[in-house]
Amino acid sequence: MKISITLFGGLRQYLPAGSGYNNCDIEVDEGVSLQTLLAKIPIPDGKPFLVMHNDTRITPEQYAELNIASDDQVVLLPPIKGG
Amino acid sequence: MAWQKQILRVNLTTGVCAIEPLNMEWAESYLGSRGLGSKYLFEEMDPAADALSAENKIIFATGPLTGTMASTGGRYTVVTKGALTGAIACSNSGGKFGGELKMAGYDMLIIEGESEKPVYLHIEDEKVEICDASEIWGKTVWETEDLLAAKYRDPLMKFAGIGQAGETLCRYACIVNDKHRAAGRSGVGAVMGAKKIKTIAVRGSIGVRSSDPKAFYKIVNEVNARMDDREGMSREGTLAMIDVTNGFGSLPTNNNRSVRFEGANKLNPEAMHTPNENGHTNFVTNGACFGCTIGCGRICKIDPTHFSVKDRPEYHGASGGLEYETAYALGSACGVDDIDAATFAGFICNEYGMDPISLGGTIAAAMELYDIGVIDDKVTGGIKLEFGSAEALCQIAELTGKGEGFGVDIAMGSKRLCEKYGHPDLSMTVKGQEFAAYDGRSMQGMGLAYATSNRGACHLRADPYEHDFETTEIAGKAENVRDSQHDVAFLDSSGLCLFPGGCGWGLEDYRTLVDAACDSDWTDERLKLTGERIWVLEKLFNLKAGLGKKDDTLPKRILEEPADVGTGKGLVCRLDEMLPEYYELCGWDADGVPTSETLTRLGLN
Repeated sequence: MKISITLFGGLRQYLPAGSGYNNCDIEVDEGVSLQTLLAKIPIPDGKPFLVMHNDTRITPEQYAELNIASDDQVVLLPPIKGG
Repeated sequence: MAWQKQILRVNLTTGVCAIEPLNMEWAESYLGSRGLGSKYLFEEMDPAADALSAENKIIFATGPLTGTMASTGGRYTVVTKGALTGAIACSNSGGKFGGELKMAGYDMLIIEGESEKPVYLHIEDEKVEICDASEIWGKTVWETEDLLAAKYRDPLMKFAGIGQAGETLCRYACIVNDKHRAAGRSGVGAVMGAKKIKTIAVRGSIGVRSSDPKAFYKIVNEVNARMDDREGMSREGTLAMIDVTNGFGSLPTNNNRSVRFEGANKLNPEAMHTPNENGHTNFVTNGACFGCTIGCGRICKIDPTHFSVKDRPEYHGASGGLEYETAYALGSACGVDDIDAATFAGFICNEYGMDPISLGGTIAAAMELYDIGVIDDKVTGGIKLEFGSAEALCQIAELTGKGEGFGVDIAMGSKRLCEKYGHPDLSMTVKGQEFAAYDGRSMQGMGLAYATSNRGACHLRADPYEHDFETTEIAGKAENVRDSQHDVAFLDSSGLCLFPGGCGWGLEDYRTLVDAACDSDWTDERLKLTGERIWVLEKLFNLKAGLGKKDDTLPKRILEEPADVGTGKGLVCRLDEMLPEYYELCGWDADGVPTSETLTRLGLN
């Protein structure tokens, strides 16, 4: 199945080539975990980000146990800074 | 050392201009810019005086690093009693004016009294004159700069002045320098207008020297190399934040009825950089202030076929475009998703001299009053003041800048407007100043920072961002807000910009530069103590001005109406739990008054 994933702000640079402005579709197996999905996005270790799944904040401890469905909304946010 | 060690004092009542030595004992304790300006204001005026009276003073203060080769060393602060808030106002600006004032030989310019007739100040190093402004009074900021630059035949002359909004005492009139940089907040432009001083024209040829230029140069380069994460800021400016806060659920929308804006993607960097259906691209290039190695400024053009500027070629050129705060205030706060309309309203703010955050916040409140039927077309002069109306935004912005029609009401600011029409709860303000672009429900620390800010609601008095990004739980928020308030007070007093802090610099980098510029031992401990001393001095000014615990609060909406979506969905701001802890951590009593022990520790008795 295809999952649409959105990356905002400075995280956009880690979108695969050919992606839209801030999102891409990623091909995964049915019932894939969030952890497996995130592994397909080449965000360097140590780069902080927040995952929102269907508009709910997800902590790193939940990544492995959360399964993603095809119409789920997955959004990755970099830290907020003052501007 | 990099202080000039002298100040310029101008009395508009007597017409006397005098050069005085800088009080170096105060400089060693308050550093410069925001801190040192606040010390002078505190010592020289009665905080209870009316902000628009001759008793108020207005201080243009540079920092020790202003005008040096340090990256972003172009900042200055306008310190006065704010016309919008009645609190101490410390409005910081970039551009090139601050560096020029410093290079003319002054750490600080203090303007006192008031003139009978409109005047402007002309400074060329030690030559200072108060000049008749009858030919420029009534002109816009842009016209004034062009006329005086032509008069003096000096295209490099720098200006900081007001437009018609300052002249007509719009409560949030700002001081604009370099045509589109501004000391924006708290109504500092209205103070200039009340004193009938139109602008300050300055040229400096003295320069700024450190004691050991070679050693200073070496340190500047070493620190600059650590600013290694600035590409994004240069490419997209602060506007990039709009997608992030919108996704997070912290983008105030429709006067904070919501924390997410459906039209955010029409105001974001992609919208700014992508040609529209007419082939017009809003973004032209980025811009940098004096000595800046980031270049976060947006220089933009409005589509010449857009309704706001059609057949108005004076608005077809490139000028200061949308940044994150203006995209919020002139966009989501009013429900407007038209990037050209928001850009136009921003141009009007720069041209007439208004703070776009307060203008947008006040229009948003008026839109809610219109929405619930409290004001109607008779009151607005026929303008359909509906949320989302780009036409209404543009019309009201111009009327307010000119001080005409319903713009007279909008010029009062959100607090006075909502009080006038019997709905004070609809004003999204703290101490009378409109919110910045973050919501205090999904960002609990920001809620506390807004409530306790000495200059009214502000996103740049503390640094709760990282903590708020990590959690909405309130444990640790009070300590984080208190500590960062002190750190920011120090940084603002250095003459540097805050943005390198988001591009790779840490507090240690700022400390290293201050230490190198000031020829004295600026340790971490001294840095922290100086920041706290400045913060508490500002607090003392406000207490003497009549502000207190009752003013350290938030609008009912933020305290009682849960956020509708995002990370803060279902939450209100838990200010009642955070505030007592914050006071205690500050060494203040239960009413928010610093204890004698705290004052003694800071040398403020």
